[in-house]
Amino acid sequence: MFNALFKRFTSQKPSKLTAKKRLQFSLIYDKLEVNDTTLTDLQNDIVAVISKYFEIDKDALELKVKRDDDVSALVFNTPILQVKRKRAS
Amino acid sequence: MEGKVIVVTSGKGGVGKTTATASIGAALALEGKRVAIVDMDIGLRNLDVVMGLENRIVFNIVDVVLGKCKISQAAIRDRRIENLFLIPASQSDNKDVLSPAGVERIANELRKEFDYVIMDSPAGIERGFQNAIVGANEAIVICTPDVSSVRDADRVIGILYSRSLTPKLVVNRIEPARVERGEMLSYEDVLEVLSIELLGLVPMDEHVLISTNTGTPLVLQNDSKAGHAFRRIARRLNGEADLPIEIPTHRTNMWKKISKTFGFK
Repeated sequence: MFNALFKRFTSQKPSKLTAKKRLQFSLIYDKLEVNDTTLTDLQNDIVAVISKYFEIDKDALELKVKRDDDVSALVFNTPILQVKRKRAS
Repeated sequence: MEGKVIVVTSGKGGVGKTTATASIGAALALEGKRVAIVDMDIGLRNLDVVMGLENRIVFNIVDVVLGKCKISQAAIRDRRIENLFLIPASQSDNKDVLSPAGVERIANELRKEFDYVIMDSPAGIERGFQNAIVGANEAIVICTPDVSSVRDADRVIGILYSRSLTPKLVVNRIEPARVERGEMLSYEDVLEVLSIELLGLVPMDEHVLISTNTGTPLVLQNDSKAGHAFRRIARRLNGEADLPIEIPTHRTNMWKKISKTFGFK
């Protein structure tokens, strides 16, 4: 009881709440972890698709997974050199 | 009719996997089923000492898979509980001596001879674990209410799903007094994080250490709370799916009652 009284006056949060929060976050992050080979493969595929329509600077492009507190995003950044004109068939 | 192969696994070590395997297996045998418990932790065998059968080992699971002996030669019969058998791990080999195909073949053979084959998986998610789950029809994941154990359980659950196994969860070593004080994750917290079907809740119990000290089955000790919980888990596995899951509680003493009345939690 004295323990409870103490906690009440210091308004200390039960440690299990912290445990649960930390767990939920780490599980989400664990699932977003991508290894380097996956990223390289993905980059090659994206470049192949984009190259059908645009001429891009392959050396200047970057691909990364961005993580903020509540959102994560896949960011692909590339300079476009020229639009490829499709020949009328 | 062919039996079921159930793998007991956890990811993290030291959460009570071996005790759970021995207890669930023994409890199923007490229900009248013919049960084989298989220690798949090659190189680090422990089920034999936990079950008190370490003096009777002749052959082991590696011998069986490699065809050096018959299943009946490696299976040690428990003298206290009828229809309970242990196939021990090998202590000298390393995990790579077993191939998934070989284990699967033996698992299928075992199913023909036993109602339940309980595979005790090693900790981790490497070769030994892969071998333990390869022949399984069902899976039980054991975790304790602690962050590292729950996180590892999540990882293992993911792998089991990818093998088309739908695992059920046992939360072990629950300390109701600490849960009440907010110092320990409750079983509801764990379930919310893992979102998987619950099979049973096992309280922290001093009898566990005593029973492993002496190598006597926990489920034979009538005053053991954990033993009682494992017996109910076995009944739920063995067709009594509607048997209610008991939530571990602790005796509330007078001080707690008074403090609760005044709103201190």
